[in-house]
Amino acid sequence: MLGQKLLPWDYGVRNLFRRPSRSVLTLGGLTIVVLLVLVVVGFIRGLEKSLAATGNPNVVLVYALSSGADIENSSIPGRSPSLLAASVDGVRRRHGVEYVSPELYLATRITASGMSEDALSQGGMGLVRGVTTAAPLVRDKVQLLEGAWPQSGEVIVGRLAHSKLGAEEEDLAIGQQVSFDGQSWTISGTFVAAGSAFESEIWAPLADLQTALKRQDLSMLAVAMDSPEGVADVDLFCRERIDLELKAVSESGYYAALQKHYKPVRMLGWVVVVLVAGSGIFAGLNTMYGAVVGRVRELATLQALGFRRRAILLTLVQEATLLACAGALVACLIGLLLVDGTAVRFTMGAFMLSVDSVGIAVACGVAALLGVVGALPPAIKAMRLPIVEAIKAI
Amino acid sequence: MPLVEVHNVVKEYANGEETIRPLDGVSLTVDQGDYVSLMGASGSGKSTLLNLIAGIDQATSGEIVVADTDITKLSRGKLADWRARHIGYVFQTHNLIPVLTAYENVELPLLLLPMSSAERRKRVGIAMEAVDLTSRASHYPRQMSGGQEQRVGIARAIVANPTVVVADEPTGSLDDETTEQILTLLSRINTELGMTLLMVTHDADAGSRARRKIRLERGRLLENGKPVSLVKGQTAQLHTA
Ligand SMILES: Nc1ncnc2c1ncn2[C@@H]1O[C@H](COP(=O)(O)OP(=O)(O)OP(=O)(O)O)[C@@H](O)[C@H]1O
Ligand SMILES: [Mg+2]
Repeated sequence: MLGQKLLPWDYGVRNLFRRPSRSVLTLGGLTIVVLLVLVVVGFIRGLEKSLAATGNPNVVLVYALSSGADIENSSIPGRSPSLLAASVDGVRRRHGVEYVSPELYLATRITASGMSEDALSQGGMGLVRGVTTAAPLVRDKVQLLEGAWPQSGEVIVGRLAHSKLGAEEEDLAIGQQVSFDGQSWTISGTFVAAGSAFESEIWAPLADLQTALKRQDLSMLAVAMDSPEGVADVDLFCRERIDLELKAVSESGYYAALQKHYKPVRMLGWVVVVLVAGSGIFAGLNTMYGAVVGRVRELATLQALGFRRRAILLTLVQEATLLACAGALVACLIGLLLVDGTAVRFTMGAFMLSVDSVGIAVACGVAALLGVVGALPPAIKAMRLPIVEAIKAI
Repeated sequence: MPLVEVHNVVKEYANGEETIRPLDGVSLTVDQGDYVSLMGASGSGKSTLLNLIAGIDQATSGEIVVADTDITKLSRGKLADWRARHIGYVFQTHNLIPVLTAYENVELPLLLLPMSSAERRKRVGIAMEAVDLTSRASHYPRQMSGGQEQRVGIARAIVANPTVVVADEPTGSLDDETTEQILTLLSRINTELGMTLLMVTHDADAGSRARRKIRLERGRLLENGKPVSLVKGQTAQLHTA
């Protein structure tokens, strides 16, 4: 291939400016296709991140036997943490602190003082988690971004909590008030959690939340063990203490189950990617047919001069690929500027569309495919014509 | 030793039930430095013969030997390489590449040959000089007149110093004055540069410029009114007339 004499690079480039309006339209079409691919892949990647980021094999989640996978409906006795810590060896301890995080979790209507009427009327369903200071020890992906750990009457908010509520980011800034369950809370800080589902939650001190809700029970425990083997010990504890009606699952297992639950959504996403790319190829094919048909005679002239068919094929693929790559570039720019980080509300929380290296790689791959697959059939068709016939074409 | 030897070439087109046979056992030899005009009625097969010699069409049977290579035996790829080295084609309607300048159009055939860019620049310069278009080097085909375009086409045909220059009605779409210009240019290419020239034309005046005048009639060649024989010896004898 390389031993062969190729057409000048400029020839391919200048052909793109031959019919500027057609090239611009094609570029627009290709850009939209690549952007769509980028958005869908960003959706899948964002979803995957929010599901995958949290699974720590050393962490066990303990919740009510009757609750299924749904923590919201889980209720376990308030004395479970101390019982568990006392009976199970292998619970992680540092400086006399046990890594046992009792948590109360609920979905409830939340309003922020700055929220617009609009946002208030439609939605406002937020996720609240009552936690103790053990929570950040066990949930080690959670990190305070700004501000301070909540004292009594205060909360910290995940960086996507506002979008779960349908509010503006300013509405949940430090110092603002939020109210839920008949009580008003002051925001003392914001936190991140590596893109995981925690980021759409609001965390309040457990004791305050229990008082506000007039509840003594918990939704669950998160327990950090010294090693993944400890998970089995917790499981054994849950089975022995039938009276507590507990069940244990490793955090990674829990998220694996969640991932499985969302697998159809992800698969659907990939199907959409394939469909979008496929329709893009047809659009590309159509344009390339137009571009090649008008040049049959010129391509025959090149053959008559002694250029091999493969060299001519390559220049046509070059043209289409250049255009597709330009489309990919524009799409990736738009993607990084406008799509990346856009929050998507979801039943289980919110997550951000993620234009990452995978998304960009897929987008560029689709673009390259559009160029090559779109250019080859019309080019091959033109090359099939005998030179003497093609050279008489108008 | 003749430069071009056409032996008993037949070209048939299957047209449904009937077969058209524009070339019915044609033989011809052309020597180095010859200037041959090929005339004949429309549809007599002039272009067909020219295209066979130029290696862009395939004969049904027969042999075409150019500079010791039987081109009827070459694969398509090898034939393309062969064309790049040995053929300069002047088309009726120049067939310049619209997105390339005059200079780049002329340079195109040289890109197929192993050559330094300095050597290419030199050769393009000489060819542009020969057709007197040095001042138009950076113009695109659409910025030139029909006659200028044809001169660029001629420069492109001669730039690689090909074994044979073929021209299919090179003045077919030009006015009288420009036709005169182009014919003079072609004669000079033959006399001054010593290139072998094979030109198809409708125009008796144009045909008369050539040193040898051949007619194609009913699938056979006539030279000076006598058939060009199939027998090799006789052919050789004939063309010295
Ligand atoms: N692809 C083809 N299929 C069928 N017949 C063809 C084809 N190409 C040429 N012919 C026939 O072959 C014959 C010779 O054609 P050719 O083009 O060589 O004629 P010509 O002498 O160059 O004519 P003109 O002076 O009009 O250019 C014609 O009768 C033409 O109809
Ligand atoms: Mg003809």
